[in-house]
Amino acid sequence: MDLQLASFITAGALVVLGLYGFFFVDNVIKKIIALSIISSGVNLTLVAMGYREGGYVPIYIPTVEFQVFSKHMAYPLPQALVLTNIVIGASMLAVMLALSIVFYRKYRTLKTSVILKED
Amino acid sequence: MNLLPLIVVIPLLMAIVFSYIYRSKYIRLLTLLMALVLLVLPLLGLYGPYFFGGHGVVYIEGMPFVSGILYTLNPLKETLIFTLMLIGVLVLIISTREERLSGTFTALVLMGLASVSAVILTEDLFNLYVFYEIAAITQAGLVILAGREEAYRSAFRYLLVGTMAGSILLLGVGLLLSATGSLNIVDMGRYLALKPLTPTVYGALLMLIVGLAYGGGLPPFHTLKVDLYSRTKPFVAAILQTYSKFILIALMLVILKLFGGLPIFNTTRGVLIALSVFAMVFGTVMALLQDDYRRLLAYHTVSQGGYVALGLALGTPLGIVAGIFHGINHTLYKSALFIGAHIVEKIKSPYMREVGGLLLAMPTVTFLILCAKLASIGIPPFNGFQSKLLLAEAVMSADMPELVILMLIVSIGTFLYMMKAFYLIFLKPCSEEQLREYREVRISKYHIFSLGLLVLLCIVLGLYPDMVLDRLLPLGEEIAIE
Repeated sequence: MDLQLASFITAGALVVLGLYGFFFVDNVIKKIIALSIISSGVNLTLVAMGYREGGYVPIYIPTVEFQVFSKHMAYPLPQALVLTNIVIGASMLAVMLALSIVFYRKYRTLKTSVILKED
Repeated sequence: MNLLPLIVVIPLLMAIVFSYIYRSKYIRLLTLLMALVLLVLPLLGLYGPYFFGGHGVVYIEGMPFVSGILYTLNPLKETLIFTLMLIGVLVLIISTREERLSGTFTALVLMGLASVSAVILTEDLFNLYVFYEIAAITQAGLVILAGREEAYRSAFRYLLVGTMAGSILLLGVGLLLSATGSLNIVDMGRYLALKPLTPTVYGALLMLIVGLAYGGGLPPFHTLKVDLYSRTKPFVAAILQTYSKFILIALMLVILKLFGGLPIFNTTRGVLIALSVFAMVFGTVMALLQDDYRRLLAYHTVSQGGYVALGLALGTPLGIVAGIFHGINHTLYKSALFIGAHIVEKIKSPYMREVGGLLLAMPTVTFLILCAKLASIGIPPFNGFQSKLLLAEAVMSADMPELVILMLIVSIGTFLYMMKAFYLIFLKPCSEEQLREYREVRISKYHIFSLGLLVLLCIVLGLYPDMVLDRLLPLGEEIAIE
């Protein structure tokens, strides 16, 4: 199968899996993992967008002529986006996991239905 | 020399410094000094573009494309940034008089100011996304600092949904990148106008609207924002609502620049107007039911967010200007109201039925809060009147008289709950003993100064709205779709 198509299908599967986890699993940590999976799905979609069959890695190779290189390299912009998004995702996750620890210390459970219950 | 990036860089760097020296004994003094620096920041940039790295504009097949990240400054953006910094300065000044101030609070406020400034300044969609996410983390962080369990819960919920909404927005950005090959908003808009629209673009638009609703506090995410505003200290809510309002304005302008001229905008306009109307009505109805003054103000913020979004969603020059003007006015009087709520909470309690008779204990503050309330209802000579009048004019000229009627009804609702709150907190008779209790609480002059300054601005903008409108009108016409 075409690698790009396979990547899109995988990304779609990851997002669906993540959505299922986010909405239907009653556990704070698992919800956070589900969000991380959704984020990975989106990242994979972005990387797959810049993919080019048989293309060069977008790092300039001095031995290859520039015109040829620029014609055949993969689109580098989505990769830059993904790199930044991974950092943002990590900081979001860190804050959420820190809060989960606080909740666990208080309630001795990780059930969302208990922790996030309305006052 | 154009020092435009310093508007973002200085607060961001200082945020790092403050997070390292968070236990310093000079933190109050340093925070005050930082507040003064913030006031100068909007003056640093020159009008026009600023290209980061890259090669500026490059021509590909005769079409201009911006390579690298582009920031632009114009009178509209400058006004927004000045208002943002002003509220930031006042919040920082007030924070120096709070019992528990750590450098972390100052750092988070600065990070928020930097990220919202960047969202306003940038013309690059991915850069906008990055700072939008930083603003979301910052807002959650500021609420977590309240140190209460319900604050943790609100922040956690906000982050959970935020990660999801952020992913959706990023996917939208990615789809637009794949459809147009650029991340620059102007280039994308130009490209979209030339080529036939594909399902990718429709999907991207929908995703941008989801991101807008989350960042700007429109339905269906408004309850998250209400939780955030009402579970932190009210003076912190003042800066939180300013962040949200300006992110809403910035993202609405992005949608207008990208899709304004396209046939699909008619449908988009319908969706955005529906969201705004729902925010207006829902915010007002829920505010009528509240006993907690902080929650009442939080729902009021949602309903006023609806006004701002309505103006911008019209897409006409007058609508855009009225929406942005109302956004600026709203942040001013609403910050005054939140600072007032902070004083009320300090004196007794945020629950309206537990307070009463504050008029006798602090007549000056009562007068100032009354002025802010009148501004929020839209009564002359305050600024709220000018922007609501302009909005009504814009809606009428867009042939939607039924929306003007709705706006009037919402204003009447606002009058009802604002006056109910005013009676319960300030006018309801109280016992001598209670009055003595009130008088024992000392309110810092910084609080009263901030409140007074904001009310003064409300009156000045109410009497001389042209001070701001003259700066907005030319750009409103540029962005408008007709």
